[in-house]
Amino acid sequence: MLLFIASEVMLFGSFFTAYFFIRVVNGYPWPPEGFELPRYVAGVNTAILVTSSFTMHWALQSIRRGNRAGMQAGLVLTFLMGLTFLLTQVIEYARVGFAPHDNAFTTIFFSLTGLHGAHVFVGLTILLFMTIRAYRGHFSPEHHYGVELGGIYWHFVDIMWIVVYTTVYII
Amino acid sequence: MTEVATNGHGAHVEHAPAPPPTGLRRFTAPGWWRVLWMMPLFWGIGAGIVLLLRWYAAWDPLWEWNALVVVAFLTTMPIGFLAGLGAFDYWVHYALGGETLPEDHSGHGARSWKDYFRVNTDHKVIGIQYLVTTFSFFVIGGLAAMVVRAELAKPGMQITDNQGFNGLFTVHATLMIFLFVIPAFAGLANYVVPLMLGAPDMAFPRLNALSFWLLPIGGLMLVGSFLAPGGPPAAGWTGYATLSTHLPMGTLFFNMAVQWAGASSIMTALNFLVTIITMRAPGMTFWRMPLLVWANFTTSLLVVLATPFIAGSQFFVMFDRILHTHFFNPVGGGYALGYQHIFWFYSHPAVYIMVLPGFGIISEIIAVFARKPIFGYRLMALSMLAILVLGFSVWAHHMFVSGMADYLRVPMMITTLLIAVPTGVKVFNWLGTLWEGRIHFTTPMLWALGFISTFVIGGLSGVYLGAVPIDIHTSDTYFIVAHIHYVLFGGSFFTIMAGVYYWFPKMTGRMYNEALGKIHFWTTFIAFNLTFFPMHLIGTRGMPRRVADYAPQFADWNLFISICSFALGASIVIFFYNMIHSWKFGPKAPGNPWHALTLEWQVSSPPPVFNFDEIPQVIGSPYEYGVPGARHALLNGAKTHELEEVER
Amino acid sequence: MRRGAILQLTVLALIIGGLTTAVAVIPNWLPPTAAEQADRIDFVFWYVTIICIVIYAVVGAALVYSVWKFRVRPDDDADGPPIHGHTGLEIGWTAIPFGLVTSMAIISAIVLARNDHTGSNPLKVDITAQQFAWTFTYPQHDKLTTNILRLPVNRPTRFTLQALDVIHSFWVPEFGQKQDAVPGIRTHITVTPNKIGTYPIICTELCGLGHAVMRSTVIVMPQDKFTAWVNQSGKAVSGGGAAAGKAVFVSQGCGACHTLQAAKSTGKVGPDLDKLPDYAQQAGMPLEQFVRESIVDPEAYVEKGFPPNVMPPTFKSLPKAQLNALVKFLVDSSKAAK
Ligand code: HEA
Ligand code: HEA
Ligand code: CUA
Ligand SMILES: [Cu+2]
Repeated sequence: MLLFIASEVMLFGSFFTAYFFIRVVNGYPWPPEGFELPRYVAGVNTAILVTSSFTMHWALQSIRRGNRAGMQAGLVLTFLMGLTFLLTQVIEYARVGFAPHDNAFTTIFFSLTGLHGAHVFVGLTILLFMTIRAYRGHFSPEHHYGVELGGIYWHFVDIMWIVVYTTVYII
Repeated sequence: MTEVATNGHGAHVEHAPAPPPTGLRRFTAPGWWRVLWMMPLFWGIGAGIVLLLRWYAAWDPLWEWNALVVVAFLTTMPIGFLAGLGAFDYWVHYALGGETLPEDHSGHGARSWKDYFRVNTDHKVIGIQYLVTTFSFFVIGGLAAMVVRAELAKPGMQITDNQGFNGLFTVHATLMIFLFVIPAFAGLANYVVPLMLGAPDMAFPRLNALSFWLLPIGGLMLVGSFLAPGGPPAAGWTGYATLSTHLPMGTLFFNMAVQWAGASSIMTALNFLVTIITMRAPGMTFWRMPLLVWANFTTSLLVVLATPFIAGSQFFVMFDRILHTHFFNPVGGGYALGYQHIFWFYSHPAVYIMVLPGFGIISEIIAVFARKPIFGYRLMALSMLAILVLGFSVWAHHMFVSGMADYLRVPMMITTLLIAVPTGVKVFNWLGTLWEGRIHFTTPMLWALGFISTFVIGGLSGVYLGAVPIDIHTSDTYFIVAHIHYVLFGGSFFTIMAGVYYWFPKMTGRMYNEALGKIHFWTTFIAFNLTFFPMHLIGTRGMPRRVADYAPQFADWNLFISICSFALGASIVIFFYNMIHSWKFGPKAPGNPWHALTLEWQVSSPPPVFNFDEIPQVIGSPYEYGVPGARHALLNGAKTHELEEVER
Repeated sequence: MRRGAILQLTVLALIIGGLTTAVAVIPNWLPPTAAEQADRIDFVFWYVTIICIVIYAVVGAALVYSVWKFRVRPDDDADGPPIHGHTGLEIGWTAIPFGLVTSMAIISAIVLARNDHTGSNPLKVDITAQQFAWTFTYPQHDKLTTNILRLPVNRPTRFTLQALDVIHSFWVPEFGQKQDAVPGIRTHITVTPNKIGTYPIICTELCGLGHAVMRSTVIVMPQDKFTAWVNQSGKAVSGGGAAAGKAVFVSQGCGACHTLQAAKSTGKVGPDLDKLPDYAQQAGMPLEQFVRESIVDPEAYVEKGFPPNVMPPTFKSLPKAQLNALVKFLVDSSKAAK
């Protein structure tokens, strides 16, 4: 699983390389005049996603201690927060006022956040399945590998977002 | 989220395969009948998504072929194919909250040829599926090369037009690289690595099956691109932007085919890594692993770390085409050279992905047929790791004339030239292994020796190219074409041949015809050198690559090359005849015809469905030829008793 | 190792080295040079060649010797001596290649630096590459534009390359130097021609349909002839009339893709321009209007049998006067050809 994550990190790496070439090597203005990024909305969104990592961790700890209800609550909370994040992101896309084909800046903006969004989507799907399994009672203190893997993936998605947020929105 | 198949121990119950479904059940059970309706269904889903989105965003025109082709034809339809065949059945079952089921191995083994056409989780079946598929694509790619050579026999245009010619060599190279060399190695390793490790199967058998079935999808996509409006992809296997963002639709087929093949190789690589790390038999420490396993370990690391970059580069090209983004389009602020950096950051490591497993095969074969331990075993493994690390730091040697930042050139030249050192260590250690050995000239050994003599030529021409001033003169000429074929044909292809002949008895349980094998080697070896060596010369003299028409001064050499290339093609007929005929009619092979020490030879040919009746106990190095009393492993029952003796 | 073995190995290495040397010297591996840079590149080439001959001789000798001395009959089932390695040897064949490649790197780096050195007063030439033609502009000479490159001998020339559509690459084999032209960025190389003559210019980066025919010519001439040429052609372009139209046709590289008797061009990528009147008829347009439209908006009407999106759309930015001259030239000469 960690190897898979390494591979995913490299995929993000290739997108960041494109970002790097356009912004640094090509000296492209960032963000170009007339373009405004919704930093604060995205900031709140970031906070939501970061919190969801804690609830995920809580879910995992609960099942380790045999607290099934805790795990279920943790998973559901995580799922809901992830969903909020994704929906906010979609709304942001609709309201941001520019499209991927406007110029190189918008291209990179949409592709980096979009790639991340796709990962959130995958993460949510995994969470959904884990929640189903949790309610069906498939996990126990001894057998909860699925929750663990889902957790690793979710933390990865989360950390990746912090990197994306910093590079695209802040610096 | 598969559980590691750990039930290698204890007695295996052979599950009889479920009886084939009949009547309407055929359409719901995994298999080709279900593919029949699932492919159109998923095509519809894909098309629906595209239309819905375009309608919602009020984009004009609603019916946009480029987007439809990418999503419906090249993405969701293949997923439908996989789903129909049953590649996802278990995961869907699991996701919807079903019980976890460890692989019950009911899918193991192949009892009739039909078993090769379904999702089979047995690594040995998958290995053969891989090899047969990849060799089919080799034939198609080779025939494309024959047309290329026919066109080049005379200056001027004869058989194809310009676009057709560009399409032909693009498809030729893409098939050879992504659908022949890389997966053929994966196929050989699939068969052999679990056996060598003393494991009953790969770590994730279901993932293994899935990664195989992604391959024919990618391959058929490339072959099918000839039907695309505007013809096949025609930007070379490197698909440089901004040419690839300008060309007709065929390019999309290239982009997606590479994605499918890439996904397949990432999955296999992950599988190999986990298998090698977690499923070694007791006593099989890292320093007791055969070098083939080491080779696949390093290769898989390369694949996992590098392949996402080519995925990225192809995504960018597709986005630039379909969404009109500006990754590479300078008008909107894009950076055209960005493509090359990202592409080569994968594709240079890819050339080592295409040769390291070969190094592993050669090490096995040379030790066995020289009847000597590998010379400098640890250094052999370490040099592969050195190549792995250096391989990530040389990508810009493909870009010496591209106009990238000047200050990158000298550092990249130094790292490029340094790669000659670990590679040289391997060559000299093979020679050291041969020295004073007792050399048997079997067909695999001939290929191995032939490999050394041609690969060194290819490597040395690589050193010429690594020296920037020479590269400035020779880049994008036939000198490069010569280098490519000396390392890929004289390197990778020769090692694949060596490996196929070497493990043929193990895989099929029959011996190939030794005399035909030798004839095949000599004809191919001679025709190969006559075809590709003169290309160095016409290249340095001034003939550029990727041209259908050339200056009359090169006419004689090109005619000569073309004639030799047809002989080369014909020589390969011998190989196919030998393989197919021997597979059916060859004499039965013993378990260990080569008297080799590695584990795969200690079981019957072909091996039992679960490889080992009991997991072997490894007690020593795999190459202890000539060491009195040395053993690599203990098998079957006798274990505990003999182990005690050894320990005493 | 026995003395005999060493002797035999040496003899073998000499034989193989001799054969390889023969391969290296008998054919003419490199085109005759016509620039200082090419001379230096050739030096690196031969330096690397010598090292490679030695290495191939050593590897070949060891291989042939083993194959010849250590072969056994198929039914022999003894094992060889259990030699596991030899630290000294292994260090040796790591260190020696290391030294050799380091020397190559140093020499290459020096040559590279000297080849990039331009001197204080280079001739400047801007190269514009587009599908499938070369255009050369002399910014120091009133932006004089041509599609056949002319260079004075023995004067460093600094080229600045740009591409309008896709990547192309500028190569003159006799100069040794090569450089890609990339859309969106400017790239540079330096060439100091040192031999008078006429040499081919080749596009070496795959750029589409017409890649194989994207050729031109460079003429290296004495300085006084060059000056005379500059003065004379400067007048032709500004003169107006048929000569001006032809000059635009030539300088924009139309001939690379199109046949036109009046300009002695024989390109086959695009339609034959001697047949323009027929095409105009098929398109149902007056000849002049048709010609103008086809240059400014090439996709408006694409001649049957030719693929769309091949003719570059960039010519619409030609200055008005030049465009008019070009259209007039095409109309007149295609009528005359009929
Ligand atoms: C299996 C595939 C493979 C392998 C193994 C290699 C190996 C090497 N390659 Fe090659 N290469 C390709 C496949 C491969 N290449 C392909 C496909 C292309 C073209 C891509 C395209 O544009 O289409 C290419 C292009 C290519 C270029 C770019 C040329 C250009 O486009 O301008 C360069 C430049 O540096 C290069 C260099 C090297 C070097 C230095 C090695 C080294 O790893 C070689 C090392 C081996 C040896 C040197 C021989 C053994 C060593 C000794 C016996 C020791 C002593 C030696 C010395 C002291 C020198 N290669
Ligand atoms: C593993 C990789 C591999 C292999 C095995 C080959 C095999 C061959 N290649 Fe290829 N080649 C590449 C990788 C490979 N190539 C790459 C990466 C490029 C660069 C592309 C680019 O520029 O983008 C290239 C480019 C390339 C060119 C240059 C095109 C150009 O730049 O214009 C040429 C030209 O001669 C060529 C020829 C051949 C030939 C004759 C064979 C032969 O060895 C093929 C022999 C095989 C068969 C013929 C098929 C099997 C035989 C039969 C079914 C028997 C029946 C057939 C007959 C009797 C005719 N190749
Ligand atoms: Cu321009 Cu090739
Ligand atoms: Cu490389």
